[in-house]
Amino acid sequence: MIAFIIRRLLAMIPTLFFVSIATFVIIQLPPGDFLTSLQALAASSGSGADKAAMDNLRHQYGLDQPKWVRYVKWVSGFPRGDFGYSFEWKRPVRELIADRLELTILLSLLSLVLMWVVAIPVGIYSATHQYSGTDNLLTALAFLGLSVPDFLLGLVYVFIGLFIFHASVTGLFSPRLVDASWSLGKVLDLSNHLFWPALILALAGMTQLIRILRGSMLEVVGQQFVRTARAKGLSEQVVIHKHAVKVAINPLVSVMGMQLPQLISGATILGIVLSLPTTGPMFIRALTSQDMYLAGTFLLFLALMLMVGNLIADVALAWIDPRIRYQ
Amino acid sequence: MSDGIDRREFLRVAVLGAAGAASAVYFPARGAVRALAAIPEKYTESPMLAGLVKQGKLPPLAQRLPAADDILIVKPIEEIGQYGGTWRLVWKGPADFHAYGRENYEPVLRWPRDPKDPIQPGLAKRWQFSDDGKTLTLFFRKGLRWSDGKPWTVDDIIFWWDDIETNKELTAAPHAEWVVNDKPMTLEKIDDATIRLKFAGPNGLVLQMLAFHGNQWPLNFERFGFFAPAHYLKPFHPKYNKDIKDYKLFNQKADDLNPERPAMTPWPVSQYRPGDAKLIAIRNPYYWKVDPQGQQLPYIDRLELTLVENNEAAATLALSCQVDMQYRSMDLKKFPLFVGKSGECGYRVYKWRSAQGSAVLFWPNQSYDGDPVLRKIFQDKNFRIALSLAIDRKKINAVSYLYQGIVNAPTVVPDSAYFVPEVAKMYQEYNPKSAGEYLDKAGLKLGPDGKTRLRPDGKPLEVTIETQLQGADLDAVQLAAADWNAVGVKAVVKTMSRDLYWPRATGNEVQIATWFGDRGIEPFVDPIYVFPFDERSWMAPAFGTYYKTNGAKGEKPVGSLAEMQKMFDQFKVTVDRAKQVAIGKRLVQMAVEECTAINTVGATPVPLIVKNNFRNVPIQYMQDWIIMSPGNLDTIQFFFKKP
Repeated sequence: MIAFIIRRLLAMIPTLFFVSIATFVIIQLPPGDFLTSLQALAASSGSGADKAAMDNLRHQYGLDQPKWVRYVKWVSGFPRGDFGYSFEWKRPVRELIADRLELTILLSLLSLVLMWVVAIPVGIYSATHQYSGTDNLLTALAFLGLSVPDFLLGLVYVFIGLFIFHASVTGLFSPRLVDASWSLGKVLDLSNHLFWPALILALAGMTQLIRILRGSMLEVVGQQFVRTARAKGLSEQVVIHKHAVKVAINPLVSVMGMQLPQLISGATILGIVLSLPTTGPMFIRALTSQDMYLAGTFLLFLALMLMVGNLIADVALAWIDPRIRYQ
Repeated sequence: MSDGIDRREFLRVAVLGAAGAASAVYFPARGAVRALAAIPEKYTESPMLAGLVKQGKLPPLAQRLPAADDILIVKPIEEIGQYGGTWRLVWKGPADFHAYGRENYEPVLRWPRDPKDPIQPGLAKRWQFSDDGKTLTLFFRKGLRWSDGKPWTVDDIIFWWDDIETNKELTAAPHAEWVVNDKPMTLEKIDDATIRLKFAGPNGLVLQMLAFHGNQWPLNFERFGFFAPAHYLKPFHPKYNKDIKDYKLFNQKADDLNPERPAMTPWPVSQYRPGDAKLIAIRNPYYWKVDPQGQQLPYIDRLELTLVENNEAAATLALSCQVDMQYRSMDLKKFPLFVGKSGECGYRVYKWRSAQGSAVLFWPNQSYDGDPVLRKIFQDKNFRIALSLAIDRKKINAVSYLYQGIVNAPTVVPDSAYFVPEVAKMYQEYNPKSAGEYLDKAGLKLGPDGKTRLRPDGKPLEVTIETQLQGADLDAVQLAAADWNAVGVKAVVKTMSRDLYWPRATGNEVQIATWFGDRGIEPFVDPIYVFPFDERSWMAPAFGTYYKTNGAKGEKPVGSLAEMQKMFDQFKVTVDRAKQVAIGKRLVQMAVEECTAINTVGATPVPLIVKNNFRNVPIQYMQDWIIMSPGNLDTIQFFFKKP
């Protein structure tokens, strides 16, 4: 198992290398560069920096060098933890994204936990009470949750917060606590501001998990080993929770690997809707303004998060189901 | 247009006082209220600073203010204010620098509150031209200090000129306003507070430029200015510090958002790192202006700017009562939402008009070289007039701008000194029949189908409008295109991102270009929309390039456009303001008569949100970026009124 994990971790390095090339190429695809974008922006907001001045800046930023030179410069900084310089923010990329990455990971983990904590009991209940009134209601809700995009829920949340509860719904803290030092009140305020986005983000995945678990439970409950367990005279509690769920949960773990990318892209859009200081808003802005090292580093880290997430899912699967062996 | 007049009456009472005698000599006609204001008997300061003085962290006020005769006295718009408070705003990051920068508009000379008034004193208290207009002497206030307490002298101007503006590593070429007859200006220091600017010929634009570009360098990414803190920056400049090899660190330190950097502005940045959710700016203890009662300005202690991603997020903050006074990033279409929240949040919502001759402008490209037949058509005045007459502006006003725009010929707004009432309504009426006649005159006869007009070479007439506009503005473009189709000019709208549009438009590749028609108050500091000035003049980018490069690149213009370039040459060397305005008016008139740009509706408003107790903000005002709105209103006299 340990060997397997190490092998997988080592395999990530070449993958990341290819991702970095792909990222760099993709980011360079749109015509122009950060400075053409800046020039157009300057013109629309009023000023008109002329071409000579822009070429001067282009030289300072090293944007006049060939693409491969820029790539090598960017990549060669990685071992030192140097991910280049953000043109727009005029600050090293690493300093800029550290806090935001933390928050994105926190938000994603929180919604992952929420997803599972809710999905498993509800899924089991739905399966054991098939076609009951509650099951039908939960099914209906699940389909609703699956089909409503998370950004729309985000907007609904903003609307309800603003016009019904008259509360601050965007950002991480209420205005009166932003500058306050850490206290119990501030922690509660933060969790209140994080809980709802996490829930919105978790909803689609949660309902998906509920459906999967319900289906898989129904299949498992009809199998012979469950009948045997019942025949042994085990209580229904033990039959379901110890025997059936253990088997039925396998597909959920495999799905987890697939849910991570959804979670990350969902967090991007939701971050914009709710003005959260996550990677999302800054990432999109870096893409539109062609702030290439910043955008590239974000892409790289999102890819890394994905790979780590997949690895965790694989390991969890092996741990839960001893039938799966890695050579 | 009763708006403008009411407002002027209103402002006349409130116009800035304390101007030097010299300026009165040069502007005898206007500026009735520039009698010297009485010097206050004593000076007082914000309790916040008084506290610091008591703790010994700050010298007493008397030692921080300039010499008594040289303190600028600013008259409040409504009433004398009270100290204190935090002004909460929103901004969209460094690219939205103006959200912070215009609150801190602090140049050598100032744009007046009323655009029809002359340029006002700023850091310089008066100025004097030599008789031939080639030399300008600037007399600065004595005893000015940077926000760190170090003296401000004309050496800070010389540092900027010698080591920034004429340093090729930092500035590709000196800005055009400092170059006359191809020769950069020379500076002569008289004493610490007096400097002489010498040009190779008369420089008629220099006063406007000192109001427009006379700020501390670099104004973020725009990279223009007139002075820089030599004592702070020299250690980071490779010329003065041999350990430093390139200008990266220098640029970082000179940045307007660097909290360490001293400034002359009312609220220098005090707490900010790039990417932070908040930018905090705190009052400058060495600020050199007072109100008529001798209270050191600004009234407000702190600015707090919250970072948001887009206008929607900005609106969300405004709707949750988290802004005190803001119009930037507020969309007109959200006006009813803001009004709905005004009771709960305790703010007023007004409409400030934008100085746009037209919210959207169309430019048939007269130097288009992709198709010689189309180029001939675009160069035909009759064709352009026909396009203007074919547009139903009332419909556009209703659909895109909630009936809030004004139908008026493009280029300038009625508030401008260059407004020419005689041509204000020229080619503005909706008259498809007359448009058809003009098209016939241009030799574009209706084809056999009776719908499409044919070009002289017999092909159907089809033009492409390229645009980067979005939302309501894009709707306006589509409506105009439909109107043109109706008179037989097949118009195809191609939308694209700004990054794609910009190189195409400046590269002379676009048939009909579109953009916002702003700079309607003072168009001549950057007259790209009046005549072909440079590659951004989309009525003929190639002609503009020719003008900018003195014929080295681009294409030699012909006809009226060439004539307008010659008129602007005259404008530039005319030091006498009255004569200059006359030339400017002739240029504006000619641009309208030649119909070089086709307009929709102009002066569309933006919502202004202002807290009930946030005072001294005029209700009616024409905002524009050239005059650094709301900077020219003296943001330092805004205040929170205590109950």
